[in-house]
Amino acid sequence: MPFSDLDRAAVARALAQIAQHEDDRPEAYFERLEEVELPPDTPPARGAGGGQVPGLAVRREDGFALRLSRGGRSWLAARDGIEPRLFAEALRQVARVLPTAVYPEPQLPVRPWPGPPRAEEMLAFPSRLQRAIRTRHVAFPLGLTLRRHRRHIQVVHLDPSAEGERESFYSCAVELPWGGYGTLFTELDEGTVDRLASTLVGLFRSRHALPPEAFQGTVVLAPAAAAVLLHEAVAHALEADVLAQGGKPDAAVGVELGSSLLNVLDDPGAAPKGVRRSTDDEGVPICRRWLLRAGVVAEPLADTSWASGSDALIAGAGRRGGRHSAPSPRSSHLELLPGTQSIEELLAGAEGGLYIAEARRGALDPESGRFELEVPYARRIRGGIATDPVGRCRIIGRVAELLAGVNGLGSDARAAGAGWCAKGGRKLPVWATCPTLRIEGVEIEP
Amino acid sequence: MKRSAELSKTLDVLRARGLDEAEALTKTGRGRRLERGPDTEVVSFHEERGWAVRAGGDRSSFFVCGTGALDPEAPWPEPNGLPIRLPKASPATAWNEPDDFDAPLVGEREGLRLLTSIEEELARELPGARLIYGVLEDGSSETGIVNTKGVVARIKTRVAALRLDAAFGRGGAARTAIYLAEREARRFRPRALARRLADQLAVAAPPAGEGRDRGEILLAPAVGQRMIAELLPLLVGPRAGDLASRLRDRRGRVASEHLTVIDDGRLAGGLFAAPADGEGVATRETVLIEGGAFRQPLLAWWQAPGGEARPAGCSRRASWRDLPKPGPTHLYVDVRDGVPVGGLLEEVRRGYYLIDSSGPASFDFEEDRFSLPVAGFAVHAGRATAPVSGASLEGGIGAFLKGIQALGRDLTFAPMEGMIGCPTLLVTGLEVKKGKT
Repeated sequence: MPFSDLDRAAVARALAQIAQHEDDRPEAYFERLEEVELPPDTPPARGAGGGQVPGLAVRREDGFALRLSRGGRSWLAARDGIEPRLFAEALRQVARVLPTAVYPEPQLPVRPWPGPPRAEEMLAFPSRLQRAIRTRHVAFPLGLTLRRHRRHIQVVHLDPSAEGERESFYSCAVELPWGGYGTLFTELDEGTVDRLASTLVGLFRSRHALPPEAFQGTVVLAPAAAAVLLHEAVAHALEADVLAQGGKPDAAVGVELGSSLLNVLDDPGAAPKGVRRSTDDEGVPICRRWLLRAGVVAEPLADTSWASGSDALIAGAGRRGGRHSAPSPRSSHLELLPGTQSIEELLAGAEGGLYIAEARRGALDPESGRFELEVPYARRIRGGIATDPVGRCRIIGRVAELLAGVNGLGSDARAAGAGWCAKGGRKLPVWATCPTLRIEGVEIEP
Repeated sequence: MKRSAELSKTLDVLRARGLDEAEALTKTGRGRRLERGPDTEVVSFHEERGWAVRAGGDRSSFFVCGTGALDPEAPWPEPNGLPIRLPKASPATAWNEPDDFDAPLVGEREGLRLLTSIEEELARELPGARLIYGVLEDGSSETGIVNTKGVVARIKTRVAALRLDAAFGRGGAARTAIYLAEREARRFRPRALARRLADQLAVAAPPAGEGRDRGEILLAPAVGQRMIAELLPLLVGPRAGDLASRLRDRRGRVASEHLTVIDDGRLAGGLFAAPADGEGVATRETVLIEGGAFRQPLLAWWQAPGGEARPAGCSRRASWRDLPKPGPTHLYVDVRDGVPVGGLLEEVRRGYYLIDSSGPASFDFEEDRFSLPVAGFAVHAGRATAPVSGASLEGGIGAFLKGIQALGRDLTFAPMEGMIGCPTLLVTGLEVKKGKT
């Protein structure tokens, strides 16, 4: 851990110097980031040249941010690099005092970076993927960009007891002649290769399929697609800052948002190994948070800033896009509790509808509750099975109507639907565990 | 060690390792961000210091970047990637640094007062309208680039950006947003911005009615900018020439004679005006379309080896973490033939004045079709008669380019992919589709 030698007590003592009011909450956030990128294995268009990605790219960052929160206001100062002088400068900025003011410069020992990173597992991945695609008796051109992300953080408050956290995962972006696909993994094992190959082959086989006519009917969402829907329609809808756009966030507690089948949690402690957390990005212990209990809003997502002004909101869901931005309430690992139905039973109740294996992206208008989910391809359900493919389409509607239409839950909950969430320009990895989901009365548009 | 010494020492070390093509970059910057949302206010200050090195030769290369000072003796990795070539030094061209680069950043009170003023002016312009979210960012940076081919460049930038989200009506039935950038935050005018938000909110209500209609269509700069940004595949990169050639008419034109499109990396007063691009290549003006005739695409030095097209310094780096990527800097429609906008509106006998565009657009260059979500007003005899919302502007890409009848003088830039500039455009030959038809 790069921050294991950090004297957290000394940092806390320095922070104590800028707390002037009873409700002042000073905080120091240290981060170390490493991203190793393997670009697509395609030669430049006209020979080698500038502007082309030169092999494994390595990005390494150390930095910190100091923040002073007072009621709904906060002041934040961020720096690249971790040095006592920079820390004292940042303290002066958040305290908003003249540069002549003298603040302590605590020793900030940070372990040096090891030598250049090794990434054999990444270098081997493209050929493993190609092999897995060929075993499905197809071949097509693809441009794979694979990245390994490592993040260490340490948050210190006046109470310096919070331990550091570490995350490690991979992201991939695949460019295909008929569109792109992106996902996240925590390991590059055989299961990962197999799932990615299956998804890409599914996109390949449906590339010429025509979009469906606009209709209102039943859809069955596989776990990956259900996760994207819940991320947009439940997680974003229940973030305290999003709720505040329409009034007081605590007023949402007790509101019936969807079908009584829906029990949705945010639990960063149950996320896949490698990204599992015990504290959030504000150093607050995480909790197993019930977003929806039997379709009713229970505990919206909140960080310390939103929780400090409310009895109904609980902190522990503060996430940061990086040291340069303040934390805001976001989900980390969304969990939809499984039902009892088999996939066959779910399909049997969706005659004429669509089976949707993947969803590309969603969007929610928090004020109107209008929701849209992009679907790259689907399959028409006939006679209780998913048959011929249909092309790109959209699920549209209002969140409450969509969630009220849930009438079936599979027993097959699994980790699925991981991806990047870029709300407000802050890109964060999000994870989910979901079963198959059936919704009636859904509006589909080409 | 001084920054210039860090850079040249790094090149020496890499050369000594047999890496003939090596480039080192350092960047420092500072900025202030003021963010106001429902019940929250965040004031941030940040200072950045980063570096990037790419090096290799005709067999392989590496790219590494990091925070803090550049250490020439760092344990550089073995080159394991694609071969690399770097640009040679360009002939020196005159460059006068704008005098407002070093103006102080916006203060906390000053910035928050700007957001408050916009909020108050908006409520005055359109009672019941409210600002949901406002972010003001003001920052400056300095980048140094050297390479083993003799490139030595120093680039300074100064940018203030403003994002405003506003709502109107019960439950926020109408919503709109604007995002704009200036050299300094002090150039944002609260009353003008509030008026623009109020105009956009007035036409952002849920759509009423369905149908398709044609007529004379006036596109405000915000809509024209969006159209030009969506047409970038026709203007930028090695494939652009092929795409544009499909739109040529019998006279060899791809657009109306009124249309001249230019990219200029050193545009006077331009937000990203600089003597060199993100690889240290000298910037210049490049005419892409002139009087409706396609002249050449915008190409970086490595995309046009020995061809007819003249390359330009047009590689941009989003930050020190990113590799340079060719793209527009200030790409705009020339307004030398422009007329007053009031005159253009008077010319519309029956048609539309479209003032806003938000939401996903679809541009199909193979099929020569596009659809762009728009909002604005129906116009009769030069007067706005009814709001039009939830509509889309549709037609052929070639029909749009060739259907430009006149230009306004109100050239305005918006931060999109680079800065995209467009005046008001009077266009015929397109359709406005309302509702679900």
